[in-house]
Amino acid sequence: MSYVSVQHLQKSYAGTPVFSDINCEIHKGEFVTLLGPSGCGKSTLLRCIAGLTTVDAGQILLDGQDIVPLSPQKRGIGMVFQSYALFPNMTVEQNVAFGLRMQKVATEDSRQRVLEILRLVELHDFAARYPHQLSGGQCQRVALARSLVTRPRLLLLDEPLSALDARIRKHLREQIRQIQRELGLTTIFVTHDQEEALTMSDRIFLMNQGKIVQSGDAETLYTAPVDVFAAGFIGNYNLLDADSASKLLQRPVTGRIAIRPEAIELSRSGEPDALIRSHSLLGNVIRYRVEARGVELVVDVLNRSAADLHPDGTRLSLSIDSTALCEVA
Amino acid sequence: MSRAESSSAVLYHRVVVYLLFAILLLPLAGTLIYSIASSWSATVLPSGFTFKWYVQLWSDPRFLNAFGQSLIVCVGALVLSVVLILPLLFVVHYHFPKLDALMNILILLPFAVPPVVSSVGLLQLYGSGPLAMVGTPWILIGCYFTVALPFMYRAITNNLQAINLRDLMDAAQLLGASTFQAALLVVLPNLRKGLMVALLLSFSFLFGEFVFANILVGTRYETLQVYLNNMRNSSGHFTSALVISYFFFVLVLTWAANILNKDKSQ
Repeated sequence: MSYVSVQHLQKSYAGTPVFSDINCEIHKGEFVTLLGPSGCGKSTLLRCIAGLTTVDAGQILLDGQDIVPLSPQKRGIGMVFQSYALFPNMTVEQNVAFGLRMQKVATEDSRQRVLEILRLVELHDFAARYPHQLSGGQCQRVALARSLVTRPRLLLLDEPLSALDARIRKHLREQIRQIQRELGLTTIFVTHDQEEALTMSDRIFLMNQGKIVQSGDAETLYTAPVDVFAAGFIGNYNLLDADSASKLLQRPVTGRIAIRPEAIELSRSGEPDALIRSHSLLGNVIRYRVEARGVELVVDVLNRSAADLHPDGTRLSLSIDSTALCEVA
Repeated sequence: MSRAESSSAVLYHRVVVYLLFAILLLPLAGTLIYSIASSWSATVLPSGFTFKWYVQLWSDPRFLNAFGQSLIVCVGALVLSVVLILPLLFVVHYHFPKLDALMNILILLPFAVPPVVSSVGLLQLYGSGPLAMVGTPWILIGCYFTVALPFMYRAITNNLQAINLRDLMDAAQLLGASTFQAALLVVLPNLRKGLMVALLLSFSFLFGEFVFANILVGTRYETLQVYLNNMRNSSGHFTSALVISYFFFVLVLTWAANILNKDKSQ
Protein backbone atom coordinates (compact mmCIF):
# COMPACT_ATOMS: atom_id res chain seq x y z
CA MET A 1 0.00 0.00 0.00
CA SER A 2 1.26 3.50 -0.85
CA TYR A 3 2.42 5.78 1.95
CA VAL A 4 1.39 8.95 0.09
CA SER A 5 -1.51 8.78 -2.31
CA VAL A 6 -2.70 11.78 -4.29
CA GLN A 7 -6.11 11.10 -5.80
CA HIS A 8 -7.93 13.18 -8.43
CA LEU A 9 -6.47 16.42 -7.09
CA GLN A 10 -7.79 19.62 -8.65
CA LYS A 11 -6.64 23.20 -8.24
CA SER A 12 -7.40 26.36 -10.16
CA TYR A 13 -6.70 30.06 -9.68
CA ALA A 14 -9.47 32.47 -10.74
CA GLY A 15 -10.99 29.86 -13.05
CA THR A 16 -7.68 28.92 -14.68
CA PRO A 17 -6.82 25.32 -13.83
CA VAL A 18 -3.31 24.66 -12.48
CA PHE A 19 -3.99 20.94 -12.56
CA SER A 20 -7.25 19.12 -13.09
CA ASP A 21 -6.78 15.46 -12.19
CA ILE A 22 -3.49 14.64 -10.54
CA ASN A 23 -2.94 11.09 -9.31
CA CYS A 24 0.26 9.65 -7.89
CA GLU A 25 1.42 7.06 -5.39
CA ILE A 26 4.58 7.25 -3.29
CA HIS A 27 6.00 4.44 -1.16
CA LYS A 28 7.40 4.77 2.35
CA GLY A 29 11.06 5.82 2.37
CA GLU A 30 11.02 6.75 -1.32
CA PHE A 31 12.75 9.84 -2.73
CA VAL A 32 10.44 11.14 -5.42
CA THR A 33 11.01 14.14 -7.68
CA LEU A 34 8.41 16.35 -9.34
CA LEU A 35 10.23 17.53 -12.45
CA GLY A 36 8.96 20.02 -14.98
CA PRO A 37 9.30 23.48 -16.49
CA SER A 38 8.28 26.66 -14.66
CA GLY A 39 4.50 27.01 -14.38
CA CYS A 40 3.74 23.29 -14.83
CA GLY A 41 2.10 23.11 -11.37
CA LYS A 42 4.78 21.17 -9.47
CA SER A 43 5.27 23.76 -6.71
CA THR A 44 1.50 24.24 -6.37
CA LEU A 45 1.11 20.47 -5.97
CA LEU A 46 3.80 20.52 -3.25
CA ARG A 47 2.08 23.43 -1.47
CA CYS A 48 -1.24 21.56 -1.65
CA ILE A 49 0.38 18.54 0.02
CA ALA A 50 1.87 20.85 2.69
CA GLY A 51 -1.52 22.50 3.26
CA LEU A 52 -0.22 25.97 2.35
CA THR A 53 -2.56 26.09 -0.65
CA THR A 54 -6.14 24.83 -0.54
CA VAL A 55 -7.30 22.24 -3.06
CA ASP A 56 -10.54 22.45 -5.06
CA ALA A 57 -11.22 18.71 -5.05
CA GLY A 58 -9.52 15.38 -4.49
CA GLN A 59 -7.78 13.57 -1.69
CA ILE A 60 -4.26 13.42 -0.31
CA LEU A 61 -3.74 10.32 1.82
CA LEU A 62 -0.72 10.24 4.11
CA ASP A 63 -0.25 6.87 5.78
CA GLY A 64 -3.92 6.13 5.06
CA GLN A 65 -5.25 9.40 6.52
CA ASP A 66 -6.82 12.10 4.33
CA ILE A 67 -4.85 15.24 5.24
CA VAL A 68 -6.79 17.70 3.03
CA PRO A 69 -9.04 18.88 5.89
CA LEU A 70 -6.04 19.33 8.24
CA SER A 71 -4.22 22.63 8.77
CA PRO A 72 -0.47 22.75 7.90
CA GLN A 73 0.37 22.63 11.63
CA LYS A 74 -1.39 19.29 12.04
CA ARG A 75 -0.09 17.47 8.97
CA GLY A 76 3.31 16.57 10.42
CA ILE A 77 5.06 17.61 7.22
CA GLY A 78 8.46 19.30 7.01
CA MET A 79 9.31 21.63 4.18
CA VAL A 80 12.43 23.34 2.86
CA PHE A 81 11.96 26.47 0.75
CA GLN A 82 14.02 27.85 -2.13
CA SER A 83 14.43 31.11 -0.17
CA TYR A 84 15.53 29.14 2.97
CA ALA A 85 12.89 31.06 5.01
CA LEU A 86 15.15 31.12 8.05
CA PHE A 87 13.96 33.44 10.81
CA PRO A 88 16.44 36.37 10.70
CA ASN A 89 15.90 37.32 14.36
CA MET A 90 16.91 33.88 15.64
CA THR A 91 20.25 32.08 15.83
CA VAL A 92 20.82 28.80 14.02
CA GLU A 93 20.04 26.93 17.25
CA GLN A 94 16.85 28.92 17.86
CA ASN A 95 15.76 28.43 14.25
CA VAL A 96 16.20 24.68 14.48
CA ALA A 97 14.55 24.54 17.90
CA PHE A 98 11.51 26.55 16.77
CA GLY A 99 9.44 23.50 15.79
CA LEU A 100 10.25 21.75 19.06
CA ARG A 101 9.32 24.92 20.97
CA MET A 102 5.93 24.90 19.24
CA GLN A 103 5.54 21.23 20.20
CA LYS A 104 6.44 22.19 23.81
CA VAL A 105 9.30 19.70 23.96
CA ALA A 106 11.26 19.96 27.25
CA THR A 107 14.27 22.30 27.01
CA GLU A 108 16.95 19.66 27.70
CA ASP A 109 15.46 17.18 25.25
CA SER A 110 15.07 19.95 22.67
CA ARG A 111 18.71 21.04 23.06
CA GLN A 112 19.87 17.45 22.64
CA ARG A 113 17.82 16.93 19.47
CA VAL A 114 18.94 20.26 17.99
CA LEU A 115 22.59 19.38 18.58
CA GLU A 116 22.12 15.93 17.06
CA ILE A 117 20.50 17.28 13.93
CA LEU A 118 23.06 20.09 13.58
CA ARG A 119 25.78 17.43 13.77
CA LEU A 120 24.00 15.52 11.02
CA VAL A 121 24.14 18.54 8.69
CA GLU A 122 27.68 19.36 9.90
CA LEU A 123 26.73 22.72 11.38
CA HIS A 124 27.13 22.10 15.13
CA ASP A 125 29.89 24.75 15.29
CA PHE A 126 27.55 27.39 13.87
CA ALA A 127 24.75 27.09 16.46
CA ALA A 128 25.21 30.61 17.85
CA ARG A 129 25.35 32.35 14.47
CA TYR A 130 22.57 34.33 12.83
CA PRO A 131 21.34 33.47 9.31
CA HIS A 132 22.98 36.56 7.76
CA GLN A 133 26.34 35.29 9.03
CA LEU A 134 26.03 32.07 6.98
CA SER A 135 26.59 31.23 3.30
CA GLY A 136 23.71 30.12 1.06
CA GLY A 137 24.65 26.45 1.37
CA GLN A 138 24.87 26.68 5.16
CA CYS A 139 21.50 28.47 5.31
CA GLN A 140 19.91 25.67 3.31
CA ARG A 141 21.43 23.04 5.62
CA VAL A 142 19.99 24.90 8.62
CA ALA A 143 16.61 24.95 6.87
CA LEU A 144 16.94 21.21 6.29
CA ALA A 145 17.88 20.61 9.94
CA ARG A 146 14.94 22.75 11.09
CA SER A 147 12.49 20.68 9.06
CA LEU A 148 14.04 17.34 10.13
CA VAL A 149 14.27 17.97 13.87
CA THR A 150 10.51 17.63 14.38
CA ARG A 151 10.69 14.13 12.82
CA PRO A 152 8.15 14.83 10.07
CA ARG A 153 6.12 12.07 8.43
CA LEU A 154 6.95 13.50 5.02
CA LEU A 155 9.65 15.90 3.83
CA LEU A 156 8.98 18.37 1.02
CA LEU A 157 11.83 20.15 -0.75
CA ASP A 158 10.77 23.06 -2.97
CA GLU A 159 13.69 23.78 -5.34
CA PRO A 160 16.07 23.95 -2.36
CA LEU A 161 19.21 24.07 -4.49
CA SER A 162 18.16 26.60 -7.13
CA ALA A 163 19.68 29.64 -5.42
CA LEU A 164 23.08 28.01 -4.87
CA ASP A 165 26.16 27.93 -7.06
CA ALA A 166 27.00 24.76 -9.02
CA ARG A 167 29.71 23.36 -6.72
CA ILE A 168 27.70 23.75 -3.50
CA ARG A 169 24.59 22.48 -5.26
CA LYS A 170 26.34 19.25 -6.20
CA HIS A 171 27.71 18.72 -2.68
CA LEU A 172 24.39 19.52 -1.03
CA ARG A 173 22.34 17.21 -3.24
CA GLU A 174 24.60 14.31 -2.24
CA GLN A 175 24.26 15.31 1.41
CA ILE A 176 20.45 15.58 1.21
CA ARG A 177 20.22 12.14 -0.43
CA GLN A 178 22.53 10.59 2.16
CA ILE A 179 20.56 12.05 5.08
CA GLN A 180 17.27 10.98 3.49
CA ARG A 181 18.57 7.40 3.15
CA GLU A 182 19.95 7.40 6.70
CA LEU A 183 16.62 8.51 8.17
CA GLY A 184 14.49 6.50 5.71
CA LEU A 185 12.38 9.61 5.24
CA THR A 186 9.75 9.74 2.51
CA THR A 187 10.68 12.82 0.47
CA ILE A 188 9.15 14.80 -2.38
CA PHE A 189 11.62 17.02 -4.19
CA VAL A 190 10.61 19.70 -6.68
CA THR A 191 13.00 20.86 -9.37
CA HIS A 192 13.20 22.00 -12.97
CA ASP A 193 16.76 20.68 -13.25
CA GLN A 194 16.81 17.29 -15.01
CA GLU A 195 20.33 16.49 -13.76
CA GLU A 196 19.23 16.95 -10.13
CA ALA A 197 16.18 14.78 -10.74
CA LEU A 198 18.11 12.01 -12.48
CA THR A 199 20.91 11.82 -9.92
CA MET A 200 18.84 12.04 -6.72
CA SER A 201 15.54 10.27 -7.26
CA ASP A 202 14.20 6.78 -6.76
CA ARG A 203 11.35 7.82 -9.01
CA ILE A 204 10.56 10.87 -11.11
CA PHE A 205 7.16 12.35 -11.97
CA LEU A 206 7.57 14.45 -15.09
CA MET A 207 4.97 17.23 -15.20
CA ASN A 208 3.78 19.47 -18.00
CA GLN A 209 0.82 21.86 -18.10
CA GLY A 210 -0.71 20.52 -14.90
CA LYS A 211 -0.40 16.84 -15.82
CA ILE A 212 1.99 14.06 -14.90
CA VAL A 213 3.09 13.02 -18.38
CA GLN A 214 5.46 10.24 -17.37
CA SER A 215 6.68 8.56 -14.21
CA GLY A 216 9.37 6.02 -13.55
CA ASP A 217 12.97 5.64 -12.45
CA ALA A 218 15.73 7.79 -13.90
CA GLU A 219 16.75 5.21 -16.50
CA THR A 220 13.22 4.71 -17.81
CA LEU A 221 12.66 8.43 -18.16
CA TYR A 222 15.98 8.97 -19.83
CA THR A 223 15.93 6.05 -22.25
CA ALA A 224 12.23 5.76 -23.05
CA PRO A 225 10.49 9.16 -23.22
CA VAL A 226 6.77 8.72 -23.92
CA ASP A 227 6.18 11.90 -25.89
CA VAL A 228 7.80 14.84 -27.61
CA PHE A 229 7.73 16.93 -24.41
CA ALA A 230 9.47 14.23 -22.35
CA ALA A 231 12.08 13.71 -25.06
CA GLY A 232 12.66 17.45 -25.30
CA PHE A 233 12.82 18.06 -21.55
CA ILE A 234 15.04 15.18 -20.53
CA GLY A 235 18.35 14.92 -22.37
CA ASN A 236 19.02 16.54 -25.74
CA TYR A 237 17.07 14.16 -27.93
CA ASN A 238 17.05 14.50 -31.71
CA LEU A 239 13.35 14.63 -32.54
CA LEU A 240 12.53 13.55 -36.10
CA ASP A 241 9.18 13.51 -37.87
CA ALA A 242 8.24 10.46 -39.96
CA ASP A 243 9.68 11.86 -43.23
CA SER A 244 13.06 12.80 -41.76
CA ALA A 245 13.25 9.53 -39.82
CA SER A 246 12.51 7.53 -43.01
CA LYS A 247 15.25 9.41 -44.89
CA LEU A 248 17.78 8.92 -42.11
CA LEU A 249 17.04 5.26 -41.38
CA GLN A 250 16.37 4.44 -45.07
CA ARG A 251 13.23 2.48 -44.23
CA PRO A 252 9.60 3.54 -43.90
CA VAL A 253 8.76 5.04 -40.50
CA THR A 254 5.20 6.02 -39.56
CA GLY A 255 5.56 8.01 -36.34
CA ARG A 256 7.91 10.45 -34.64
CA ILE A 257 11.29 9.14 -33.58
CA ALA A 258 13.56 10.36 -30.78
CA ILE A 259 17.27 9.52 -30.82
CA ARG A 260 19.69 10.25 -27.99
CA PRO A 261 22.75 12.19 -29.23
CA GLU A 262 25.16 9.79 -27.50
CA ALA A 263 23.54 6.76 -29.22
CA ILE A 264 24.77 7.94 -32.63
CA GLU A 265 28.26 6.83 -33.62
CA LEU A 266 30.64 8.64 -35.95
CA SER A 267 33.56 6.73 -37.41
CA ARG A 268 36.25 7.22 -40.03
CA SER A 269 35.74 3.72 -41.47
CA GLY A 270 32.76 2.92 -43.68
CA GLU A 271 30.79 5.03 -46.16
CA PRO A 272 31.22 8.76 -45.33
CA ASP A 273 27.55 9.75 -45.27
CA ALA A 274 27.66 12.46 -42.55
CA LEU A 275 29.10 15.97 -42.80
CA ILE A 276 30.21 17.82 -39.64
CA ARG A 277 28.70 21.33 -39.75
CA SER A 278 29.98 22.59 -36.37
CA HIS A 279 31.18 21.38 -33.03
CA SER A 280 31.52 22.57 -29.45
CA LEU A 281 33.61 21.19 -26.62
CA LEU A 282 31.59 20.62 -23.42
CA GLY A 283 34.49 19.22 -21.40
CA ASN A 284 34.25 15.45 -21.34
CA VAL A 285 31.88 15.48 -24.31
CA ILE A 286 32.21 16.92 -27.82
CA ARG A 287 28.87 18.02 -29.29
CA TYR A 288 28.70 17.88 -33.11
CA ARG A 289 26.05 19.31 -35.41
CA VAL A 290 25.97 16.85 -38.29
CA GLU A 291 24.08 16.62 -41.57
CA ALA A 292 23.38 13.04 -42.66
CA ARG A 293 21.15 11.98 -45.55
CA GLY A 294 19.55 15.43 -45.60
CA VAL A 295 18.74 15.39 -41.88
CA GLU A 296 20.35 17.65 -39.22
CA LEU A 297 21.39 15.81 -36.06
CA VAL A 298 23.13 16.52 -32.76
CA VAL A 299 25.76 13.90 -31.90
CA ASP A 300 27.60 13.64 -28.55
CA VAL A 301 30.98 11.91 -28.58
CA LEU A 302 33.01 11.11 -25.49
CA ASN A 303 36.18 13.22 -25.50
CA ARG A 304 38.71 10.43 -24.85
CA SER A 305 41.62 11.64 -27.00
CA ALA A 306 42.54 14.13 -29.72
CA ALA A 307 41.39 11.53 -32.27
CA ASP A 308 37.78 12.13 -31.19
CA LEU A 309 37.94 15.78 -32.21
CA HIS A 310 37.01 16.14 -35.90
CA PRO A 311 37.26 19.51 -37.64
CA ASP A 312 34.17 21.10 -39.23
CA GLY A 313 33.61 19.94 -42.82
CA THR A 314 34.92 16.41 -42.14
CA ARG A 315 32.95 13.57 -43.73
CA LEU A 316 32.43 10.52 -41.52
CA SER A 317 30.37 7.39 -41.40
CA LEU A 318 27.27 7.55 -39.17
CA SER A 319 25.59 4.59 -37.48
CA ILE A 320 22.68 4.39 -35.05
CA ASP A 321 22.02 1.55 -32.63
CA SER A 322 18.47 0.40 -33.37
CA THR A 323 17.76 -0.13 -29.64
CA ALA A 324 18.32 3.60 -29.05
CA LEU A 325 15.40 4.60 -31.30
CA CYS A 326 12.29 5.64 -29.39
CA GLU A 327 8.91 6.11 -30.92
CA VAL A 328 7.22 9.06 -29.26
CA ALA A 329 3.64 10.31 -29.34
CA MET B 1 42.37 59.10 -12.15
CA SER B 2 45.76 60.35 -10.89
CA ARG B 3 46.52 60.75 -7.18
CA ALA B 4 46.52 64.60 -7.44
CA GLU B 5 43.13 64.56 -9.20
CA SER B 6 41.74 62.13 -6.69
CA SER B 7 42.88 64.18 -3.67
CA SER B 8 41.43 67.38 -5.17
CA ALA B 9 38.14 65.53 -5.76
CA VAL B 10 38.15 64.36 -2.13
CA LEU B 11 38.85 67.94 -0.98
CA TYR B 12 35.99 69.26 -3.15
CA HIS B 13 33.56 66.66 -1.76
CA ARG B 14 34.62 67.48 1.79
CA VAL B 15 34.12 71.20 1.24
CA VAL B 16 30.64 70.60 -0.16
CA VAL B 17 29.68 68.35 2.77
CA TYR B 18 31.09 70.69 5.45
CA LEU B 19 29.45 73.70 3.77
CA LEU B 20 26.11 71.93 3.79
CA PHE B 21 26.52 71.05 7.46
CA ALA B 22 27.47 74.66 8.25
CA ILE B 23 24.41 76.03 6.43
CA LEU B 24 22.15 73.59 8.29
CA LEU B 25 23.75 74.12 11.70
CA LEU B 26 24.22 77.91 11.52
CA PRO B 27 20.63 78.88 12.49
CA LEU B 28 20.68 76.26 15.23
CA ALA B 29 24.02 77.49 16.56
CA GLY B 30 22.70 81.09 16.46
CA THR B 31 19.59 80.08 18.39
CA LEU B 32 21.68 78.14 20.92
CA ILE B 33 23.99 81.13 21.56
CA TYR B 34 21.00 83.48 21.77
CA SER B 35 19.33 81.15 24.30
CA ILE B 36 22.33 81.35 26.66
CA ALA B 37 23.08 85.05 26.09
CA SER B 38 22.13 87.38 28.95
CA SER B 39 21.48 90.10 26.37
CA TRP B 40 22.46 90.44 22.71
CA SER B 41 21.06 93.38 20.81
CA ALA B 42 23.33 96.33 19.99
CA THR B 43 26.66 94.48 20.15
CA VAL B 44 28.43 92.04 17.79
CA LEU B 45 28.86 89.48 20.54
CA PRO B 46 26.58 88.74 23.50
CA SER B 47 27.28 90.85 26.57
CA GLY B 48 27.37 87.74 28.79
CA PHE B 49 26.19 84.14 29.13
CA THR B 50 23.56 82.74 31.46
CA PHE B 51 21.26 79.75 31.92
CA LYS B 52 18.50 81.89 33.41
CA TRP B 53 16.24 81.51 30.34
CA TYR B 54 16.39 77.73 30.66
CA VAL B 55 15.74 77.93 34.42
CA GLN B 56 12.82 80.27 33.75
CA LEU B 57 11.44 78.01 31.01
CA TRP B 58 11.73 74.73 32.90
CA SER B 59 10.16 76.27 36.02
CA ASP B 60 7.17 77.61 34.09
CA PRO B 61 4.20 75.32 34.90
CA ARG B 62 2.45 76.38 31.67
CA PHE B 63 5.45 75.17 29.62
CA LEU B 64 5.66 71.89 31.52
CA ASN B 65 1.95 71.41 31.01
CA ALA B 66 2.22 72.10 27.25
CA PHE B 67 5.20 69.77 27.00
CA GLY B 68 3.31 66.99 28.76
CA GLN B 69 0.20 67.54 26.66
CA SER B 70 2.25 67.42 23.45
CA LEU B 71 3.74 64.14 24.61
CA ILE B 72 0.33 62.69 25.45
CA VAL B 73 -1.15 63.63 22.07
CA CYS B 74 1.86 62.35 20.09
CA VAL B 75 2.24 59.11 22.03
CA GLY B 76 -1.55 58.56 21.90
CA ALA B 77 -1.59 59.00 18.12
CA LEU B 78 1.40 56.70 17.66
CA VAL B 79 -0.03 53.98 19.91
CA LEU B 80 -3.26 54.15 17.89
CA SER B 81 -1.22 53.96 14.68
CA VAL B 82 0.73 50.89 15.80
CA VAL B 83 -2.38 49.11 17.06
CA LEU B 84 -4.33 49.75 13.84
CA ILE B 85 -1.69 49.88 11.10
CA LEU B 86 0.46 46.86 12.04
CA PRO B 87 -2.39 44.32 11.82
CA LEU B 88 -3.72 46.11 8.72
CA LEU B 89 -0.34 45.87 7.00
CA PHE B 90 -0.02 42.23 7.94
CA VAL B 91 -3.45 41.42 6.53
CA VAL B 92 -2.82 43.41 3.32
CA HIS B 93 0.58 41.86 2.64
CA TYR B 94 -0.19 38.30 3.69
CA HIS B 95 -3.80 37.80 2.64
CA PHE B 96 -4.64 40.54 0.12
CA PRO B 97 -1.41 41.70 -1.58
CA LYS B 98 -3.41 43.22 -4.42
CA LEU B 99 -4.80 45.82 -1.98
CA ASP B 100 -1.33 47.33 -1.59
CA ALA B 101 -1.82 49.48 -4.71
CA LEU B 102 -5.06 50.92 -3.26
CA MET B 103 -3.40 51.48 0.12
CA ASN B 104 -0.58 53.40 -1.55
CA ILE B 105 -3.14 55.86 -2.92
CA LEU B 106 -5.04 56.09 0.37
CA ILE B 107 -1.97 56.88 2.44
CA LEU B 108 -1.17 59.87 0.24
CA LEU B 109 -4.49 61.56 1.05
CA PRO B 110 -3.30 63.22 4.30
CA PHE B 111 -0.61 64.96 2.24
CA ALA B 112 -2.89 65.74 -0.69
CA VAL B 113 -5.18 67.97 1.42
CA PRO B 114 -3.44 71.00 3.00
CA PRO B 115 -3.70 71.06 6.85
CA VAL B 116 -5.58 74.38 6.87
CA VAL B 117 -8.23 73.01 4.50
CA SER B 118 -8.68 69.73 6.37
CA SER B 119 -8.78 71.64 9.69
CA VAL B 120 -11.75 73.65 8.44
CA GLY B 121 -13.46 70.42 7.39
CA LEU B 122 -12.74 68.82 10.76
CA LEU B 123 -14.08 71.92 12.57
CA GLN B 124 -17.35 71.60 10.62
CA LEU B 125 -17.61 67.88 11.30
CA TYR B 126 -16.56 67.69 14.92
CA GLY B 127 -17.48 71.21 16.12
CA SER B 128 -20.94 70.22 17.32
CA GLY B 129 -23.34 67.31 17.39
CA PRO B 130 -22.77 63.85 18.85
CA LEU B 131 -19.08 63.82 17.89
CA ALA B 132 -18.18 67.25 19.26
CA MET B 133 -14.46 66.86 19.95
CA VAL B 134 -13.02 70.23 18.93
CA GLY B 135 -10.94 71.65 21.77
CA THR B 136 -10.20 68.20 23.24
CA PRO B 137 -7.05 66.10 22.81
CA TRP B 138 -9.13 63.35 21.16
CA ILE B 139 -9.53 65.23 17.91
CA LEU B 140 -5.77 65.87 17.82
CA ILE B 141 -4.98 62.20 18.47
CA GLY B 142 -7.34 61.15 15.64
CA CYS B 143 -6.01 63.83 13.33
CA TYR B 144 -2.36 63.03 14.10
CA PHE B 145 -3.10 59.36 13.43
CA THR B 146 -3.96 60.24 9.81
CA VAL B 147 -0.85 62.43 9.56
CA ALA B 148 1.37 59.58 10.83
CA LEU B 149 -0.27 57.05 8.49
CA PRO B 150 1.98 57.64 5.42
CA PHE B 151 5.20 57.51 7.51
CA MET B 152 4.13 54.35 9.30
CA TYR B 153 2.73 52.56 6.25
CA ARG B 154 5.68 53.27 3.98
CA ALA B 155 8.44 52.40 6.45
CA ILE B 156 6.80 49.17 7.62
CA THR B 157 5.86 48.13 4.08
CA ASN B 158 9.50 48.44 2.99
CA ASN B 159 10.49 46.31 5.95
CA LEU B 160 7.81 43.71 5.17
CA GLN B 161 8.92 43.45 1.56
CA ALA B 162 12.51 42.90 2.68
CA ILE B 163 11.77 39.92 4.95
CA ASN B 164 9.86 37.64 2.53
CA LEU B 165 6.74 37.55 4.70
CA ARG B 166 4.95 34.70 2.93
CA ASP B 167 7.78 32.16 3.18
CA LEU B 168 8.48 33.06 6.83
CA MET B 169 4.82 32.63 7.74
CA ASP B 170 4.56 29.36 5.80
CA ALA B 171 7.72 27.99 7.41
CA ALA B 172 6.56 28.94 10.91
CA GLN B 173 3.12 27.39 10.36
CA LEU B 174 4.57 24.15 9.04
CA LEU B 175 6.68 24.01 12.20
CA GLY B 176 3.51 24.10 14.27
CA ALA B 177 2.97 27.82 14.94
CA SER B 178 -0.51 29.33 14.69
CA THR B 179 -0.94 32.43 12.51
CA PHE B 180 -0.84 34.59 15.65
CA GLN B 181 2.29 32.86 17.01
CA ALA B 182 4.02 33.14 13.63
CA ALA B 183 3.19 36.85 13.43
CA LEU B 184 4.25 37.50 17.01
CA LEU B 185 7.41 35.38 17.21
CA VAL B 186 8.72 35.57 13.66
CA VAL B 187 7.31 38.56 11.78
CA LEU B 188 7.03 41.22 14.49
CA PRO B 189 10.67 41.01 15.72
CA ASN B 190 11.82 41.44 12.14
CA LEU B 191 9.71 44.58 11.73
CA ARG B 192 11.38 46.27 14.71
CA LYS B 193 13.70 48.41 12.62
CA GLY B 194 11.02 49.61 10.20
CA LEU B 195 8.65 50.27 13.09
CA MET B 196 11.27 52.27 15.00
CA VAL B 197 12.08 54.40 11.94
CA ALA B 198 8.37 55.00 11.37
CA LEU B 199 7.78 55.94 15.00
CA LEU B 200 10.75 58.32 15.15
CA LEU B 201 9.82 60.04 11.90
CA SER B 202 6.21 60.40 12.94
CA PHE B 203 7.06 61.56 16.46
CA SER B 204 9.47 64.25 15.27
CA PHE B 205 6.90 65.48 12.78
CA LEU B 206 3.94 65.42 15.17
CA PHE B 207 5.83 66.94 18.10
CA GLY B 208 6.50 70.02 15.97
CA GLU B 209 3.03 70.18 14.40
CA PHE B 210 1.33 73.56 14.76
CA VAL B 211 -1.52 74.11 12.25
CA PHE B 212 -3.89 71.37 13.40
CA ALA B 213 -3.08 71.98 17.08
CA ASN B 214 -3.72 75.72 16.81
CA ILE B 215 -6.93 75.55 14.75
CA LEU B 216 -8.57 72.48 16.29
CA VAL B 217 -7.58 72.89 19.95
CA GLY B 218 -5.74 76.18 20.48
CA THR B 219 -5.28 77.22 24.12
CA ARG B 220 -7.98 74.81 25.36
CA TYR B 221 -5.40 72.02 25.26
CA GLU B 222 -2.15 73.85 24.72
CA THR B 223 0.61 71.87 22.99
CA LEU B 224 4.27 72.87 22.79
CA GLN B 225 4.04 74.58 19.40
CA VAL B 226 0.89 76.49 20.40
CA TYR B 227 2.67 77.56 23.60
CA LEU B 228 5.65 78.73 21.55
CA ASN B 229 3.32 80.74 19.34
CA ASN B 230 1.60 82.28 22.35
CA MET B 231 4.94 83.25 23.86
CA ARG B 232 6.17 84.98 20.69
CA ASN B 233 5.81 88.40 22.30
CA SER B 234 7.95 87.48 25.32
CA SER B 235 11.77 87.59 25.34
CA GLY B 236 13.52 86.14 22.27
CA HIS B 237 16.06 84.53 24.62
CA PHE B 238 13.22 82.68 26.34
CA THR B 239 11.71 81.36 23.09
CA SER B 240 15.20 80.42 21.87
CA ALA B 241 15.68 78.36 25.02
CA LEU B 242 12.34 76.69 24.23
CA VAL B 243 13.38 75.85 20.65
CA ILE B 244 16.74 74.45 21.80
CA SER B 245 15.05 72.42 24.57
CA TYR B 246 12.63 70.99 22.00
CA PHE B 247 15.45 70.19 19.57
CA PHE B 248 17.57 68.63 22.30
CA PHE B 249 14.67 66.47 23.47
CA VAL B 250 14.08 65.07 19.95
CA LEU B 251 17.85 64.52 19.54
CA VAL B 252 18.14 62.57 22.81
CA LEU B 253 15.04 60.55 21.93
CA THR B 254 16.48 59.64 18.51
CA TRP B 255 19.82 58.70 20.04
CA ALA B 256 18.16 56.55 22.72
CA ALA B 257 15.98 54.83 20.10
CA ASN B 258 19.06 54.08 18.01
CA ILE B 259 20.83 52.55 20.99
CA LEU B 260 17.79 50.41 21.83
CA ASN B 261 17.33 49.46 18.18
CA LYS B 262 20.88 48.19 17.76
CA ASP B 263 20.64 44.66 16.48
CA LYS B 264 22.45 42.24 18.74
CA SER B 265 22.95 39.99 15.70
CA GLN B 266 25.00 42.63 13.86
